[in-house]
Amino acid sequence: MEILKVENVVKSFRDIIAVNDVSLSVSAGRIFGLLGPNGAGKTTMIRMITNIYMPDSGSITLFGQPVSSELQNRIGYLPEERGLYKKLKVIDQLVYFGMLKGMTRPNATTQALKWLAEFGAADWAGKKIQELSKGMQQKVQFICTILHEPDFLILDEPFSGFDPINVEALKNIILKMRGEGKTIILSTHVMQQVEELCDDICLINKGKAILSGRVREIKKSFGRDSVIMEFEGSNEFLNAFPDIEFINKSANRVEFKLNGMSSSDVLKAASESVEVIRFELAEPNFNEIFIDVVGTQEAENE
Amino acid sequence: MSRRSSKIATIINHEYITKVKSKGFIIGTLLGPLIMVALIAIPIATTLLSFEDSAKNIAILDETGTIGPKVVKLDPGRYYLTDKPEDLLKKRTLAEEIDGYLLIPSDAVQTGELEVYTRGGGGIGYLTILDKQLSKIIRRERLVQAGADTNVINLVNKGVSISTIKITEEGTEKDFTAALAGIGYVLGFVIYILMFVYGSFVSRSVIEEKANRIIEIIASSAKPFDILLGKVVGIGLVGLTQVVFWVILSAVLLASAGYIVDLFVNIDPEAIKAGMPQASDSNLPANFEIPSISPWLGVGFIFYFISGYFIYSTLFAALGSAVDQESDAAQLQIPVTLPIIIPILLIGNIIANPDGTLAIVLSLIPFFTPILMMVRVAATDVPVWQIAASVVLLISTFLGCLWVAAKIYRVGILMTGKKPTFKDIYHWIKLAK
Repeated sequence: MEILKVENVVKSFRDIIAVNDVSLSVSAGRIFGLLGPNGAGKTTMIRMITNIYMPDSGSITLFGQPVSSELQNRIGYLPEERGLYKKLKVIDQLVYFGMLKGMTRPNATTQALKWLAEFGAADWAGKKIQELSKGMQQKVQFICTILHEPDFLILDEPFSGFDPINVEALKNIILKMRGEGKTIILSTHVMQQVEELCDDICLINKGKAILSGRVREIKKSFGRDSVIMEFEGSNEFLNAFPDIEFINKSANRVEFKLNGMSSSDVLKAASESVEVIRFELAEPNFNEIFIDVVGTQEAENE
Repeated sequence: MSRRSSKIATIINHEYITKVKSKGFIIGTLLGPLIMVALIAIPIATTLLSFEDSAKNIAILDETGTIGPKVVKLDPGRYYLTDKPEDLLKKRTLAEEIDGYLLIPSDAVQTGELEVYTRGGGGIGYLTILDKQLSKIIRRERLVQAGADTNVINLVNKGVSISTIKITEEGTEKDFTAALAGIGYVLGFVIYILMFVYGSFVSRSVIEEKANRIIEIIASSAKPFDILLGKVVGIGLVGLTQVVFWVILSAVLLASAGYIVDLFVNIDPEAIKAGMPQASDSNLPANFEIPSISPWLGVGFIFYFISGYFIYSTLFAALGSAVDQESDAAQLQIPVTLPIIIPILLIGNIIANPDGTLAIVLSLIPFFTPILMMVRVAATDVPVWQIAASVVLLISTFLGCLWVAAKIYRVGILMTGKKPTFKDIYHWIKLAK
């Protein structure tokens, strides 16, 4: 089932076109990666979905209705730039944001205390935000986003500011929410997280959607063109293949693109001169796809 | 309650509660009246003190033989007669043995010209007293020399006292033009301060939410117009709470003031009640009456404060939304702060002639009305049509300001980076549909 449908949306500010004819579709119970370099138009796109901005043209449909201030209550939005009232107590902060999303005061209070406990932060309730560490503030911010139990979440760089342990915990929460049937838009620069979490993606650059679809299919379409190889001995045998494009090159380990060369030729040459420990035909990782696609577009524009 | 109005209510409640619970508010509410009293009392007290302190020891070199002793009789602690030569008196003055000397030439009664020698200064207070005292003595001496009868002299010297009495439907009552003008001045000034204080509260609150990026979360939960309205109303209610507290406090103090004065000053209560003028020769006010203040003055004060606050705070909010930090706001706010300051410069003219055309016109300019109409309402009987006109003009001006401010605010809150110019802001107004 389609939760969000964006059709031919355009948004410009004065002479800058921030979003230029973008269409995308997000299905229920999936994690959708909204990717792109800085200034690509992701935040503008998100602000239109959350009804902060109105598109100049095109349409955005959420839960089968055009976006409106009424629908805002059903969205949980974690902006990239976090913001909390420094002098407000944690509990007052959470209750205020909960009520702004349409919760009653008692309900917001109960939920806030429940989530604080879940994050092992029950005793922060009476503390002021400015007394908390950065990581603690991030947790409070995240609770603000999910307090009203929205079915649709937009998380913009949710992992920034968290230590590795908390990143894992947060990943599990996100996956758990997906398991509960919630739909999540995840915007991030860390491509490893895209591969771990996202079901679908849309890559935006310079206001245009340049790549979209299921993560599995995109990877497949980029082919098994990379080789990861570990061996003992000199890597000089690779000099025989001038077309190889190295991604990584160290004494005993290389990662390269074949660029049309036959993988069996390479393996044969290798086995003649070194002892091969590992030879793997790998799918390209998302980092490469990202750089490749964005780089190609940059080159075309020049 | 609809979803939308419940969100505005949530914002109003948040702004109100966080402000009212703050220490600053509680201290301000309690100390405000004290500061106000101090602002009025200190100039009066220092003026009074200046009459006493200067020139304690003054020699009189009298060539007439008649005026000198009369001056000494007025204040024997200050004046004494001398027959020392003027040179010596000069030296003693310079040596600070005496504060100065008064030279009464032999023809002083005819010419009325006398000379006071001091080391300089002495203060206006002292000269005013001396002038009054000597005029009286010389006037009397002239009459004596002209052979006037003692009765005639007493009659001439009897002071003149004008009491203004106002005619109303209920009969006559004492008119307190001067006192009421003073009250008008104070009330106008308090509105001026409150508009500034609460306007900057709104501006600071907007900038805080923008600088801390809280606004993005709020804007994804409510309409910018509702956020602006909720904020302005919430902080306005804080101001209203404070003002209503002060009005009630003043009412209680005024109601008990007559009673308190009665306790300390023994005046015939009937005289106070009737407000009858009393002829008096002294420089003191005829009596200690407290002008009866209409409760409408309190209502007017609250209305003009609130309407002025609404007009200016929406504009302050709009300009606050345009900047990233508070230090950038001051320059941009000049066009808004100027119309608050101008009426303060005009109060003097308004009080001098509160019923004049200038006063009527100025007090009906909506940006000046909160202060100037307040002054007029206190100082004179403003015709009902003018009050009605001011109410209509204020309300429509507020709606206009809110309309413009909401447009600027909508764009401004999410605009970061470059400090905008007025041209940019004009563009935002056009941009917002």
